[in-house]
Order: sequence, then structure tokens, then C-alpha cells
Amino acid sequence: MNSEETEMISRCQRGDQEALKEIFDKYHKKVYRIAYGVVRQREEALDVVQEVFIKLFRSIKDFKGRSHFYTYLYRMAMNTAIDHKRKAGKQFMSSLDEEGSFEPSEVAEKGPERILLQKELEEKVKLAMDKLPDEQRAALIYRDVEGLSYQEMAEAMGCSIGTVMSRLHYGRKRLQESLKDYVKLQAQGRGASTAEGLDEAGKEGEDR
Amino acid sequence: MTNSCSAVSKVLEKYFDQEVTGEERFLVEGHLQDCPACRDALKSMEELRTWMRVPVDEAVRKEDFPWVWQKIERGIRLQEQRSWWQSLRSWLDVTPLFRKKVWIPAVATIVVLLFISTQIIFKQTPSYQGASVVEYLESPTCNVMVYQLEEPKVTVIWMFEGPEEEHTTT
Amino acid sequence: MKRTVFLLTAFFFLSFFSIPTASAQVQVRIRVILASNVGQIIDPSLNDMHKELGSLFNFTSYRLLRDEPMNLVPNRTVTVQGRRPGRLMEVTLVGLHRDNAQLKIRVIREGVDLLNTQVRLSPGRTVLIGGPRYGEGVVIFAVSSRF
Repeated sequence: MNSEETEMISRCQRGDQEALKEIFDKYHKKVYRIAYGVVRQREEALDVVQEVFIKLFRSIKDFKGRSHFYTYLYRMAMNTAIDHKRKAGKQFMSSLDEEGSFEPSEVAEKGPERILLQKELEEKVKLAMDKLPDEQRAALIYRDVEGLSYQEMAEAMGCSIGTVMSRLHYGRKRLQESLKDYVKLQAQGRGASTAEGLDEAGKEGEDR
Repeated sequence: MTNSCSAVSKVLEKYFDQEVTGEERFLVEGHLQDCPACRDALKSMEELRTWMRVPVDEAVRKEDFPWVWQKIERGIRLQEQRSWWQSLRSWLDVTPLFRKKVWIPAVATIVVLLFISTQIIFKQTPSYQGASVVEYLESPTCNVMVYQLEEPKVTVIWMFEGPEEEHTTT
Repeated sequence: MKRTVFLLTAFFFLSFFSIPTASAQVQVRIRVILASNVGQIIDPSLNDMHKELGSLFNFTSYRLLRDEPMNLVPNRTVTVQGRRPGRLMEVTLVGLHRDNAQLKIRVIREGVDLLNTQVRLSPGRTVLIGGPRYGEGVVIFAVSSRF
């Protein structure tokens, strides 16, 4: 944590709302990414962002600097998003008719089949993520969406690196199982291109 | 799957997450050149990551966070109004004591009494013998039973796994 | 003056209730035992626990899988890996007084908490945490400490 950020946090701990605004400006997109990764809906994610920064202002006095500030904030964002999702108590099964999901102007550019398949896949991913235990979903969001290192994830999740790796492994395994039809389709597509690649490599070998 | 696939599969995810040592990277990259199955496994992980990440990237890119900061400010104001009133009430309860000159010997007496009583409490209940061994317990997945014996001094926490749990672990 | 009195009072409280400094540690021993009804073997290294196990459970066979003595320091988590991948136990010392230690224990399978508990170990007390199935039997973690 650099001295500028330390100073910003100290001011916020003393009740300076300007300091909170600076923290908001720096981190709101990252908090939104985590919130959206969990709730997968715009309005809910914005509500979570709001709640996180209000909570942060109240509880930042408890931040002792033993961990990185951003992992502290990420943990707060993740827990708030998960609580929000539980309270909402709904499966985020959105149909293709939901607002913003199908723009007629895009169809002409990208082709209807591709758009539909993409939207269908997004829905499947949402459902598959919803089915994961909270800890595994959190691990996937931290790593694959937000790009935290194992060490950072261990700090944010309050567990060991071994547990982080375990959660990632089993989360990915479950997700792949849920999305196996799509994984298969992609693999078949790759199989054709791999075969072509091998043929090319073979031809090159012969030429040499 | 060959023996080297088995060895590489243990570190393939670490390689994918860029958390490998130099030696492990060398092992994996060497193996990947000759193993389409492991290359496929890596590709699947990349695809999964793309499917998770792209909608989020897209959502952040399109979002302009309208009025979010203003709502946060309002939320804080509302909270401060409530907590200000609560703290004022508690303050009013306490201040009369501090206005009177008797508070100095009163507080000193309380401190001494606390000092003596903690000594007595510790003497009467040494070693937390009466206190519970299991302070808290939670299990989202199993039924749990706790029982305690004093002779021998053993506490047992037993988790009952359901039959469906066994299938998922094989 | 008010602050001075408050600090004095807080000092008296804290001197009796606070955890000792970070240099304090406690020796904890965790034994991982496989209990089953296959055969009638009592692992010789479990002779000290034979009577306890026999009085508590009806298993015919007890085999020691791991014996992990460790020195725990406050707020540092130690992990004991299980035999199967994805199974582990995390132990953290969260409180230490003259003659008892508070341990936070988590039993984890595939990243999901099977059990999250906080126990108080005193001299001579053993906590047995059991139940997860392994092969033909079940795993029992025997946790004890030395003061």
C-alpha cells in the first residue's frame, strides 16, 4: 500500500467523506466487477456497489492495515453481493426477452444465430455459476474475472493458498460439467483446426 | 493419459493461473508440445474464463454509474442522522455523573472493586472447567452431534454425511 | 482526566483478559485416524488412545494415517492435508490463556466447509472430530495440546 493510499484511508477513518470519494473513484469499477460477477444483473450490481461503500465508511475504522486494502474491500464486496443475492432469493434466470439482451440493430451486423447462441451461453453460464457453492463461485470470480493471484485470493477469502487452489479446481470442474455441451462443441471446432494444423506441420516436415 | 500427463495435470491449472515455478513451466510447456489432450484441457479452461469474464468486461465498459456516488452520500447522511441521535441519548445518560465532583473517587472505587473481583472470579473458577469445550459450531452440509465425557476427558464432534455426499466425493 | 481514568480501567481489564504477546505459542498434536470394521488392528502408535476409542466407538480397527505435532502461534493458520485431494483441515490459534487454548478448526472438502468450529483445549482434554468417510471406514481427527 503506497503512502498516498495510506493517507487516504486514514482520512476516511477519521470521517472524511472526501477521502471516501477518492476511494470510490479508485475502486468502484472493481467493486462493480465483483458484484456483477455474482449477481449478473446491472441494477442489482449497482445496488451492491452503493451498499459496499456505505458499509465501508461505517466499518473502515476496523481496518488495521494487516492485509492489503483492496483485498479487504474485495472481501466486503463479495460478501455483500452474496448476501444481496440470498436476500433477493431469486434465481437469475433471465429470458432472451430481458431488457438490453437483444438489440435488433445488432442482428444485421452479427447474424441472428451467433447472437442467440451467445446469449444462450451467457444464460447457461449464469445458471451454472448460481449452482456453485459460494466459496467456489467467489474463487472463480476473484481469479478468472478479477485476476487476483493465489496469495491475494487467500487474503481476500481468509483461507490458505491450498484451500484457494482446491476451490478453484472443484469450481472449474463443476462449471465444466454444467457446460459440457458447449465445451464439447468448442473442442470439436478445435479438433478440426488442430487436424489442419497437424497436416500443415506434417507438410512442412516433408518439405524439409 | 500417459504418466507425464498425470504429472502435468497436477500443475496444469497452476500453469494456467501463471502461478508455477520456472521448473514447472518448463515441464508443462515441454509436455504441451506433444500432447493434444492437455492442450485441449488448457483451451477449455481458457474458454471457461472467457465465458465468465467477457460479460463482466462488457457490463463495466457500458456502465456510466449514474448517480451512484450521490446515493452513497445520501445513505451515509441517513445513517449519521440516526447514529448521531443514538449517541446523543447515550451521552445524556452519562454526563450528569461527570458534572458532579464525586466522580473521581467513584470511578477509583469501581476500578479497585473490578480488580478485586476479577481476582476472586479467577480463584473460584480455575481452568475454565465449567466452560464449554465447543464454543461454536456450524456445518452447512452435515448433521453434527457433540458429546462430551469427563472421564476420559474427551469431546467428540461427529459429522453425519448424507448418502448423496458420498456419491459426489467418488 | 476522563481519558486517563478510562485508560487505567481498560488497562486493568486487559491485563486479565488479553491474549499474551505474539511470541506465545502452544504445542498441538493432530492425529488422523482411520476407523473401520475391516480387520481387528489397533495401530501400536494409538495405544495411548485405545481405551478412549474403544469406549466411544464400536469400530474394530484403528489405523494411524498421520501424526502432526505443531507449534501454533496466534492467528496463523496451519493446514493438514487429507489423504484424498481436496480434503484438508485448517487450524488457527485464536486465543491462548494460562491453561487453555482456543482453536478455530475447519474441515474442508473440495473447497466447501464441512465443519467450522471453535474449541477450547485444556490440559488432558482431547477433541475428536470424525465422520468423513474414507474408503471402508471413517476419518477421525484427534486434537490435543500440551501446556
